[in-house]
Amino acid sequence: MSIINFEFRNQVLKYNASLSYCYQCSTCSGGCPVAVITNGKYNPRKIIEEAILGLQDKLIGEQEPNPWLCSTCQKCVELCPQKVELTEIFILIKNKCFESGKVPDAFIAQAKAILDFGVAIPYSKAILTRREKLSLPLIKTAPVDEIKTILKETHFEKNISRESE
Amino acid sequence: MAYDLFLGCVIPARLPFLETASRKVFEKLGIKLNDVDGFSCCPDPTGIELLDHKTWLSLGARNLSLCNTNGGVLSFCSGCVETLKGINYILKKDASAKKEVNEILKKVGKSYDGNVEVKHFAQVLYEYCDKIKAYVEKQLEGFKIAVHYGCHYLRPSEIINWDDPFEPITIDTVIKALGAESVDYEMKMECCGNPVDKSDKDLSLLMIDKKLNAIQDAGANCIAVVCPACYQQYEFNQRELNKRNNTNYDFPVFYLSELVALAFGFKPEELGFKFHRIKPSTLFDSINFTI
Repeated sequence: MSIINFEFRNQVLKYNASLSYCYQCSTCSGGCPVAVITNGKYNPRKIIEEAILGLQDKLIGEQEPNPWLCSTCQKCVELCPQKVELTEIFILIKNKCFESGKVPDAFIAQAKAILDFGVAIPYSKAILTRREKLSLPLIKTAPVDEIKTILKETHFEKNISRESE
Repeated sequence: MAYDLFLGCVIPARLPFLETASRKVFEKLGIKLNDVDGFSCCPDPTGIELLDHKTWLSLGARNLSLCNTNGGVLSFCSGCVETLKGINYILKKDASAKKEVNEILKKVGKSYDGNVEVKHFAQVLYEYCDKIKAYVEKQLEGFKIAVHYGCHYLRPSEIINWDDPFEPITIDTVIKALGAESVDYEMKMECCGNPVDKSDKDLSLLMIDKKLNAIQDAGANCIAVVCPACYQQYEFNQRELNKRNNTNYDFPVFYLSELVALAFGFKPEELGFKFHRIKPSTLFDSINFTI
């Protein structure tokens, strides 16, 4: 049985009030490439319904439907007749999944690279040689300590360290 | 005209030949791109933003705070453009977010007001279409191109504020200016599936398979993209799909700037075409394209 969590629902509404405009017409799911390809197993309308109802355990705990299957193509946002900002709402839901440590590994790997190097893909030796051969300039990326200071401020560093333990 | 160049992560560190072609095209058009030291990941709108919105906003605002060229900042990557435009959009709309982000930036001695103009390289190429036409030395005859716009180049339209989110014309217009044919195909406006690769590889492959199948049915002989994520999704997965499903995909994948560079008369060797996994030379031979 799902438990309604009003506090959670209010958090989502506070983050993005457009949630309350949804009248569950399913235009989002009709246009969603992932919903089509998974025969509705992934279903943006359902995620919005669960957010309106405040079903935190379904959305964050069970991840049913799995919000990480959204391809962020933003078609639903364009198509919605009520201008519900679905992708923005999904961002909050996924941010909450991150806080509770329920994130696919590849996301953590990328985040760890940014924490360690400031960029998602650090320059390898082979790439630096290739860049030189292609007459491309040497460009300095962000100072790591500066990035770390920001990531400490946003508590990102703490969450990533916990995830990668 | 001059812009600060925001390279992002994927192109300079994994696909540098796309950077080569893009730089050559802009130089030829007389558009100056200033290199800037100190950028971090944009950060990825299909990665970091999904983990922590505040982190995404702060790092993105820090990047924009480093830009000071009059034309604004230009990127070769649709993901970077979406992030940087998205950050301006939020900072302009939400005063408390702007204040919070600037308090964070203050810790590293920076500040950002939300006013740096952000441009996608393909947008600038479209704006320079007349000049491009005048500079074409070699018409791209025989190129039957399946144009893939990709999602973040267009949407959300309220933030990107550029071209039509479902019936775009800009990239097709540039392609046609080069003397190439843009082949219409089913699913042209669908997502390539790259962002779901991080959570479900099979699903991501299924998405790109459907698109490649439609491109094959339409009779195209190559693909044009304007985003490194889409580029990798198309280039790196055709062989994998052929192995898995017995398909016979063999489409060279071009960055829009590579096609412009070819038409401008740059040689495949100086553009680093040998670094393509699906070799364009096979296509060139089959359509008798020599340069």
